[in-house]
Amino acid sequence: MAATRRLQKELADIRDSGLKSFRDIQVDETNILAWQGLILPENPPYNKGAFRIEINFPAEYPFKPPKINFKTKIYHPNIDEKGQVCLPIISAENWKPATKADQVIQALIALVNDPEPEHPLRAELAEEYLKDRKKFFKNAEDYAKKFGEKRPSD
Amino acid sequence: MGTIVESFANCSISTRDRVIAPSNQIQIFQLIVTIESASLKNNGGLIKPHPYVELIVDDCKRNKTEVIKNTYQPKWNEEFTVLVTPYSILHYRVLDYCKFQKDVLIAEKSISLYDILSNYNGVCDNLELTIDLIRVRHHDHQASASNNLVKVGELITILHGFHIDMSQVSNPSRETGNSTNNHQGLSNGDFSNGVRARSRSSTTAAIGSPVPTIDTNVSNNLVNNALTNNIRTSQTPPSHNNSAEGTITVHHQNGPVTLPIEEPLPAGWEMRFDTFSRPYYVDHNTKSTSWERPQPLPAGWELRRDNRGRIYYVDHNTRTTTWQRPNIERLQHYQHWQGERAHVVQQGNQRFLYPQHALGTGSGPNSRQTTGVPPTPVVEEEQLPNGWEKRLQPDGRSYFVNHKSRITQWEDPRTQGTELIIDNSDLPTGWEVRKTTDGIRYFVDHNTHTTTFEDPRNHVPPIQCSTGPYGVPAAYERSFRWKLSQFRYLCQSNAISSHIKITVSRQTLFEDSYHQIMRSAAYEMRKRLYIVFRGEEGLDYGGVSREWFFLLSHEVLNPMYCLFEYANKNNYSLQINPASYVNPDHLLYFKFIGRFIAMALYHGRFIYSGFTMPFYKRMLNKKLTMKDIESIDPEFYNSLVWIRDNNLEESDIEMYFGVDFEVLGQVVHHELIENGDKVKVTDTNKDEYIRLMTEWRMTRGIEEQTQALLDGFNEVVALEWLKYFDERELELMLCGMQEIDVEDWQQHTIYRHYNRTSKQINWFWQFVKQADNEKRARLLQFVTGTCRVPVGGFAELMGSNGAQRFCIEKVGKETWLPRSHTCFNRLDLPPYKSYDQLVEKLNYAIEETEGFAQE
Repeated sequence: MAATRRLQKELADIRDSGLKSFRDIQVDETNILAWQGLILPENPPYNKGAFRIEINFPAEYPFKPPKINFKTKIYHPNIDEKGQVCLPIISAENWKPATKADQVIQALIALVNDPEPEHPLRAELAEEYLKDRKKFFKNAEDYAKKFGEKRPSD
Repeated sequence: MGTIVESFANCSISTRDRVIAPSNQIQIFQLIVTIESASLKNNGGLIKPHPYVELIVDDCKRNKTEVIKNTYQPKWNEEFTVLVTPYSILHYRVLDYCKFQKDVLIAEKSISLYDILSNYNGVCDNLELTIDLIRVRHHDHQASASNNLVKVGELITILHGFHIDMSQVSNPSRETGNSTNNHQGLSNGDFSNGVRARSRSSTTAAIGSPVPTIDTNVSNNLVNNALTNNIRTSQTPPSHNNSAEGTITVHHQNGPVTLPIEEPLPAGWEMRFDTFSRPYYVDHNTKSTSWERPQPLPAGWELRRDNRGRIYYVDHNTRTTTWQRPNIERLQHYQHWQGERAHVVQQGNQRFLYPQHALGTGSGPNSRQTTGVPPTPVVEEEQLPNGWEKRLQPDGRSYFVNHKSRITQWEDPRTQGTELIIDNSDLPTGWEVRKTTDGIRYFVDHNTHTTTFEDPRNHVPPIQCSTGPYGVPAAYERSFRWKLSQFRYLCQSNAISSHIKITVSRQTLFEDSYHQIMRSAAYEMRKRLYIVFRGEEGLDYGGVSREWFFLLSHEVLNPMYCLFEYANKNNYSLQINPASYVNPDHLLYFKFIGRFIAMALYHGRFIYSGFTMPFYKRMLNKKLTMKDIESIDPEFYNSLVWIRDNNLEESDIEMYFGVDFEVLGQVVHHELIENGDKVKVTDTNKDEYIRLMTEWRMTRGIEEQTQALLDGFNEVVALEWLKYFDERELELMLCGMQEIDVEDWQQHTIYRHYNRTSKQINWFWQFVKQADNEKRARLLQFVTGTCRVPVGGFAELMGSNGAQRFCIEKVGKETWLPRSHTCFNRLDLPPYKSYDQLVEKLNYAIEETEGFAQE
């Protein structure tokens, strides 16, 4: 309930703002703590697909940060095979109760667009990204085409 | 497992509901490994070794036995429950304990569980293994590598409680070239006789199809099944029946066990999809739903219902039951807890406080010889605590009766332990004494408009030093020893003649103790204790009861009882588990534990593991502050700090006076004030909000349990008696101190913005080395939140995020006091200018109450 009130407002604000890069937001009205949506990165090689993510808010939100998971496989140095992502804005040390889901999503999209190979979750991809950008781009694009969802046309 | 099928039928859940496991999966099992004894060759040396065994499963989890001194024929007889796969490697290392240097490896041997299972058709029941212990010899003149491996002794170990259907276990791909490492099985390698096995079971358990016979009475007994306890089975535990458990499909994977992402659903569970085609899970057993995929029951576990229809879980591996569904995390906690068992008694013998005869028990104000007892100022407007009564002696002197615990005392319980008079006399002109809201005394210097906690009179010569309200010099009065002697005096004067006999069996320690303590009147717990371990009759001159306190206090922490949990992953301090209500009788157990803790204090015995500082403060009826949250939930604390320090109007935080938390998958809502959901948090009301949140955070989900525990305590020892102490002293009393190894401490300390050679660091260690054990314990407590050192020494110190070394960081200016962050085991030590300054400031921080630890 405590989290609900704030999340309803945040959700309404996000929906109203009509983000181009975060679409198809799905929230079950009976459980506002679990969100799903599609991320549409602008930068290559990820601009070839859409990636489904899940955001789970704890009951103690906003005292505790939400958790993010990729449901779509993605070839990215900062996102691991299980879909876990290391995002500083929602880490225990950096979390502030004033941080909004909207800011978290923006930070996530920025990370997807511009990988940070210096803080990798998958070291081998970070190495490839740094040493053989071309090969990395090809692999990431193949992945996006194979596993990514279709980008909404509008 | 025959029994599983049977009980599933009872629960009318058919086995075809069970999903067949995906083939790439490894299942985890419990295996009970007993390390019995070894026989080591005498190497001709003059000094005999102090051997102990380290058991390493799959290169990760280490279990250690105790050290047996001065022998070539050590007997340990220690039992470990480990988590294994059918392909696990058990690595036994026999080491020689050295006090002053690194322990020396005497010999080692690895055995492959798969080899044993394939020889014994997947059954390990009382399977005795005699293992040749191998040492690599480092003589250069030895030519071939294989000659360098020498047998130096034998180790006897027993594997127990493991069954698997071998037809479901595929043959692992064997490593080639096994000559250099001694990962050998039963039939390959240079030492083909390296492992000899025989079954110890008299009934020759095993290979065929033994009949499981579980006594079903067990589940009918309320108390029995409320606790994890022994299921009385026959010698032959339930064994495997091929067709029943179709789910075990195991394939080899290299390296440590990783849990598969997708596991089959447990019986009675179903996966459904919501309107957004997101999966969720229905548990038909408990008629509940969950977003999270349930973990299946580990091998050997079974879900059952008691005669009231309540669900509980049977662990056939250890023949125990529990209310809470087991998962990997809980099993690991259990394993950790079991691992401690071996060291419990040893630890107990290492703890101490002060010898009781050294305490001047006769010198207190209650001493009947003392004629100059200060009159007790009675604050009439304040009511006596519930159950207390004030009475008059024939000579007109008043005393106080506690009818609940049948205690009498001279002192007024309302003022006991606090200073009775705010003593303004002797103060320099312009000075005044005041108290903080927490009751801490401080001094105001109106001449300079400054305040200090330091008593300005402390600088005057001791002859002129004022006496405190108890008639002894104020400095002495503050000392822990003096307070302790006051407490002991209260105990002695309320002792009840004769003795109480408590007879327990080691196997059913908890239940036996529970029944005997709870069926007697509480005040009887103040009689002399006479503890008997069944079958070990002997006189209890203290040693037996010391052992009983220690064993039982460790027993109540068994994670399978669900009563307590480790606070914030810090492995040492306990807090009440908000989910304890899964155990329907939990409040009775908390009451019992309250009585038990009071008994420990009353009889001057120690318990194994301590509680969190906020818990002790609660026992002392002290107000909890925001800072207290940091030690149990740093994330939550950081958010509160942020709210306190930032402008809310700017940040549009959208928070109300209503809060939620989750326990066992259910969200519990609470309004901090009436209609709190409608009251927005603003900069004007946020102080109130923070205060209410602090209160709620520290009590949520555990209030009833805490109350039950305190009630039980108060029946034996009046809580008022504790008023002398602060929370840190309470922990020292309850857990005792142990000798602290400064070398080990120094060796495992890390520094930030200082280094090993910084002068402040040198001063710090100089201070530690010169301090007595009490001061060291208190320094450690100040920084880590507990005065206890882990069994493995400072190297194993844990913080809120796992292993966390003792850390000293350079912070602030020399005028600051040292601060601590107990969840990170970190001391913020300002760069003091001299040794004396460092000593003075550190002493302040350690000796005084938590007011000094704060910003």
